[in-house]
Order: sequence, then structure tokens, then C-alpha cells
Amino acid sequence: MLMIIIFNLFSNVLAQNVEESLPSFEQPILITSAGQSAEVQLASVLAKRAGLEATLSKLATVEELTDKKTLVLVIGASLKGLGAAGLDVDEEKKRVRSLIEEAQAQDIPLLCLHLGGGARRGQLTDDLITSFLPSAQMVIVLESGNQDGLFTRICEENNIPLIAIEKTIDVLDLLKRIFPSKGAERPESMPWETITEVQTGSRASFGLGSV
Amino acid sequence: MVVAAHPLAAQAGLKLLKKGGNAVDAAVATAVTLNAAEPFASGIGGGGFMVIYLAQAKKVTVINYREKAPSRAFPEMFFSEGKLKSEWKRTHGLAVAVPGALAGWTYALKKFGTKPLSEVAEEAIAIAERGLTISQTFSAINKDEYEKLILNDGEESCYLNHGLPYEPGDTFKNPDLAKTLKTLVLKGSEEFYKGDIARKIVKAVQNKGGVMTLEDLARYEPVEQEPLVGRYKDFTLCTLFPPGSGGLHIIQLLNIAENWPLKQWGPNSPLYIHHFSEALRFVFADRARYLGDPEFMNIPVQSLLSKAYASEIASKIQPDRLLNSYPSGSFDERKDETENTTHLCVIDKNGNIVSLTQSINHFFGSGIVPEQTGFLLNNHMDDFANDPDSINAPRPGRRPVSSMGPLILFKKQEPFLVLGSPGGTRIFPSLTQIILNIVEFGMSLDEAIEAPRFFTHSSQGQAREVHVESRIPSSVIQSLEGIGHKVIIRQAYDKYFGGAQGLLILKEKNLILGGADSRRDGSGAGY
Repeated sequence: MLMIIIFNLFSNVLAQNVEESLPSFEQPILITSAGQSAEVQLASVLAKRAGLEATLSKLATVEELTDKKTLVLVIGASLKGLGAAGLDVDEEKKRVRSLIEEAQAQDIPLLCLHLGGGARRGQLTDDLITSFLPSAQMVIVLESGNQDGLFTRICEENNIPLIAIEKTIDVLDLLKRIFPSKGAERPESMPWETITEVQTGSRASFGLGSV
Repeated sequence: MVVAAHPLAAQAGLKLLKKGGNAVDAAVATAVTLNAAEPFASGIGGGGFMVIYLAQAKKVTVINYREKAPSRAFPEMFFSEGKLKSEWKRTHGLAVAVPGALAGWTYALKKFGTKPLSEVAEEAIAIAERGLTISQTFSAINKDEYEKLILNDGEESCYLNHGLPYEPGDTFKNPDLAKTLKTLVLKGSEEFYKGDIARKIVKAVQNKGGVMTLEDLARYEPVEQEPLVGRYKDFTLCTLFPPGSGGLHIIQLLNIAENWPLKQWGPNSPLYIHHFSEALRFVFADRARYLGDPEFMNIPVQSLLSKAYASEIASKIQPDRLLNSYPSGSFDERKDETENTTHLCVIDKNGNIVSLTQSINHFFGSGIVPEQTGFLLNNHMDDFANDPDSINAPRPGRRPVSSMGPLILFKKQEPFLVLGSPGGTRIFPSLTQIILNIVEFGMSLDEAIEAPRFFTHSSQGQAREVHVESRIPSSVIQSLEGIGHKVIIRQAYDKYFGGAQGLLILKEKNLILGGADSRRDGSGAGY
């Protein structure tokens, strides 16, 4: 079922259904970047705070998938980051593509994050988004990065659950929810009243607070 | 009128002007306030340059408060087992040069100002205490430099919000900085260079592997210098001598541009971008060959600025192809160029002017914050060359070459344009483009600053890519590619190209126009 969720925007409804509909992922996880933006470090800190068994490897290779149960891809292109890593965009895409292919071969699910907001959109990032997002089992995006609905469109077309968050810190509780088995337990009093669900075709209302 | 990279800073400068302060008082007030409102770009942990025009004397002077290398610096200091450790130049204690900002501001206030530091720093302290609303710009930069802050200041950093980057709309307070500024107001700059703050700086730097000592701080002094003067057609340009290289290169570029039919080509036409790009490649080669700290070496400034030399370069440039052969140098190619620095301009009611550029180098500097001080230390040692044999290699007490180029352009002896920008090596190409937009293409100041920009350089005698803002039409990009340029398309308004601030003084219309760059949070304030 396609599910698009706006997290922390509204004040009511459907909380329990949403929780039940969220995909579940397993640990340990491998966190890597697609585009070498700084948000990969942010994802790592949040995973650590969520108590997850996570390995950060900005330039992860297929060998590093050994024994991992989930691949987390933090999408965002930074020319500065790519330069520091000594990569151009084509080399980075090749690395990420091989990683995803190996993950698929090993039945390791892919969770994609875009935490850079509107400031981290642009030709290079959009190229990475369109290349890799369709392979994801779930996508989390900072709402300001989806103002044009690019994430919504790709997730609709590929039947991928998409969760839009208002603030980066909102990722923390989501991670606790979708990685339930190790480390972090689901809190008793999660503020589910702040989540609502928007069904397929409701792109116009996405992120505008007018369900 | 004041223009600066943050509206609160511009307002702080304006407040000083309204209270009867002169342009120097207001410029320093704006500069200190930027430490509170735009702390990622400049502050007391950094350095800079100010160009001052004294209206009554009709004289221009320059205060150089660029940082210096510690006394234990040496050319191979960034090498380990024969390999360059790039991170030592950027996020390590070795990256921190001896800060000069406070010494420069204090010198300027004492010699040319009328107000004490207590009055000048008032708004900065208030903003640090009460906080400010985080902009998109601040948030994006905070996120971009997150890894460095985590590495050097930890999740408890005052520049992070409970360990995470600030989001747009959040409130950012910096009580430690307010306390530091209050201490400096009470005890003077001696406290920073010889007192408890000095000890905290040295401790923080040495804890991260640096070599700065208390003696290095105690010895720091700013320098007052004559301006570097160049001429373009009917205009006279006053700017910095090296180690601030931006001004010199602007004059070089303008000298070369005098040989071109610019009006016929038009702004951002393929011919204009191609010729300008080729000229830039020659200028970057010169930069690598000749630029260093003039206190320690002879720089052939007059030769570099001669019209004959400019004509020679112009005659070499071919309209339909890349030369791909420029005088070779050892310019360090940087694939991870970052955005940085800040610029402000002030004019007071008597016509005194300050054009000031200052920096902590990369955004959020080294990421090192001395304990409970609230200010960031620079990473300007990164501006020294990697090559130990370079004229710009690190050596004790030297100032690294800078691309800064605060300037005042005069038309028939009267101030006409006050201008400057952050942006690393993009500073002087961007400022030259803005000047030509105004004086050749007839744009208003705002149009000239907002117009799409481009940048390129040469390395080891070879042409490098042309970076363009995406607003440059695709037909132009195709033409450039047809000539042989490799083009990299950046954001429509990309901070990579700096964030210029300027004042246009139209004396015949009794009008002063301020221009602030929308690539950052630039703003103007006047009365």
C-alpha cells in the first residue's frame, strides 16, 4: 500500500494505523552517503542516539554489507564533499549503484534519507534522487526538501512509503519505530497524535497542512 | 549607510552612525555584530582588512589585520612521513593562525574612531544574549559544517542545537560570546592577547595538536599601510597590497579588460565569459608564482599591474579556442573549495568610507571554540601553499596570501563605488565582474551584484572547469563548450561565488545606493 505520511504537522487521527503500516527494518545497519553531503554524519549521530547498531562509512563498498541487515543511504550532493573524497559525481554514482545492487542480491532493504532540505536540492542531488530513490523500501525526507513534490512523485510511482518530517530531530523517533528489535524500544507515549496519513493522489495537500 | 551580510549587523552600524559615530565606529560595530549574528563567517577568532577613506583629508589608508603564522610554523608542518595531511590545514590545531581581528578593530577605533569599544560592541552583546532567528542560510551552512563542529567542539557545541544543526526559525543564543565581549569591553584587547582569553585560545589550539603559544598572541600587531592604486579608464581603484591579493588581481583583470570591446560583446555573452576565463587563468598563474607576504619578500607589484603586461596577456587570448598554456606555477588545485568570509561597507554623513572584509576562513573556521568563550578560531593556515618550496609556504610570523579585496573605486577623484565580497578565490573574479557590470554594461548596483556569475582558474598551466550559475542561458553554455571549456553548472544563486556588499555614490544625483547580495543574508540600512 502506498503511504505518504507527514510527520509532526497536524494534531490528530490515524496514529495507530500509521504505526502499524510503517515498514520494519533490522539491525545492524550500514549508513553511507550518496553525494558526500554532511547530512550523512547527521544520520549517524541520530542513529547512535536511537540506540541503533550502526556503522558509518561515507564511501562504503560492497564488502561492508557483510552481516548488515539494512542499508541506509543519505542522499545529498556536495561538490565540497565530493572534492574532499576525491570523487566526481559519476564515480560516486557507480559506487552507490554497486552497493545497492549487492544489497538487493543479499535481500538487504534500502532506507533512503534526505535531510538537507531545500538547500540541498539542485541538479546534482536531483540526479542522485531519481537514480536511487526507486530502489528504496522507505524514504524519509525533510519536508522543505520536497516542496516541488519530487519525492512524492517518485514514491507514488514506485509504491514506496514516504515520510516527510518537519525537523531533523523528528528522524530520531522514526528510527526508534522502524528499528524495533535491538537497542531502542518503542516508547510508551509516542506523540502519535502529531502524525497523519495522506493517501495516494493527495499530492496537492502534501506538506501544506490541508488534508 | 551600512551594508553587511546580516540585517542585525547593518542595523548595529546604523545605530552608531545615528549616535554621531563616524564610518570607522560604525564599521567596527557592524564587524563585531557579525561575530554574533553571522558567527560562521568572521569574528574575533579571525582576521581581515579594512580600506578607509578619510573625506576631509581626501586620503585612503588600509589596516591589515590578517592573521599570522605561529612562531613554530615551518614549510613542511602539514606533512607526515612525506604525505600532505590536508585535514591538519583545516580542522586541526595546526590550522589556526594567530587571530588579528580584535587588534585591528582596536587600532582602527583608537586612530580613526570616536567611540569606545563599550559603545561599539553594545549591539553584538545584546544579540548574543537575547538570540536571533536562524535563517535558511545559517541553517544550511550549519548543516554543511556539522561534521567539523562535532569533531572539534562536540555535541555540546554552542553552535549546535542540542547536538544537531540549527533549523530555520530556531533561536540561536550565544551567552558565552556575550560574556567574552563584556570582558573585552572591561579589560580591553590585552585580555585577548595576554590575559585569560589568550590562555584559553592557546589551550584549545594545543589540545587539538597546534603549536600556537602565548608569545605568538602577545606579539600580534596589525599594520597600517598605503593603499594599492590602479586605474581603469576614468576610474581609480584603491585597495590592498598583498598579502591581500584580491585587489591586485582585480586591477590586473581590469587592465586586461581595457583591451576588449566589452559593450559590443555584452554581459555574460560567450565571448565575454571566454575571454574573462582565459584572463583569469593567466592571473591565477601569476598568483602562484609571485604572491606571498611582502614583509618577507619582494613582490613585483608594479610589473604585474603594468598596462603593457596586461596588453601582452590580452593579445595571447584567442577568441575561438582555449590556450591551455598559461605561465605555469604551483597553484594548489582545490577540489573542495568552500564558501567563507564576510564583507561590509559604511559611509557616514561626512563622506568617510570603510570597505572591510574579514574572515575566519572556511565557514565555522577550524570548528575549535576555546572553552566557554563562544567564538570560533580560524583555519587560515590553510591559505598557505601546500608546496614547501612555494613563496607562500608557512613560515614563522608570516601572513598567508588572501583573496580578499575590499575596495573603493573613485570617479574623477570622488568616491563612486565601495565594494567587497567573501568567497575565497572567487572574490576577485566576482568583484571584477560586478565592477564591469556597472561601469561597462550600465547595470544598477543591485543588478550588478545579482547578475549570474562564473569562475575558473588554471593549475599547472592547464585550464580548469568554468563554474557558472544556472541562470546563465544554456545557449551560452553550449557556446562555451563548443570553444572547449568544460562547464560545471551550479545553483542559480550560489554562495560559492561569494556574497558581495556595495555602496554606489551618485554625487550628481545626491544619492547613495546600497547593494547587498541575496546569495547570503545581505542587508542595508541607512537614514
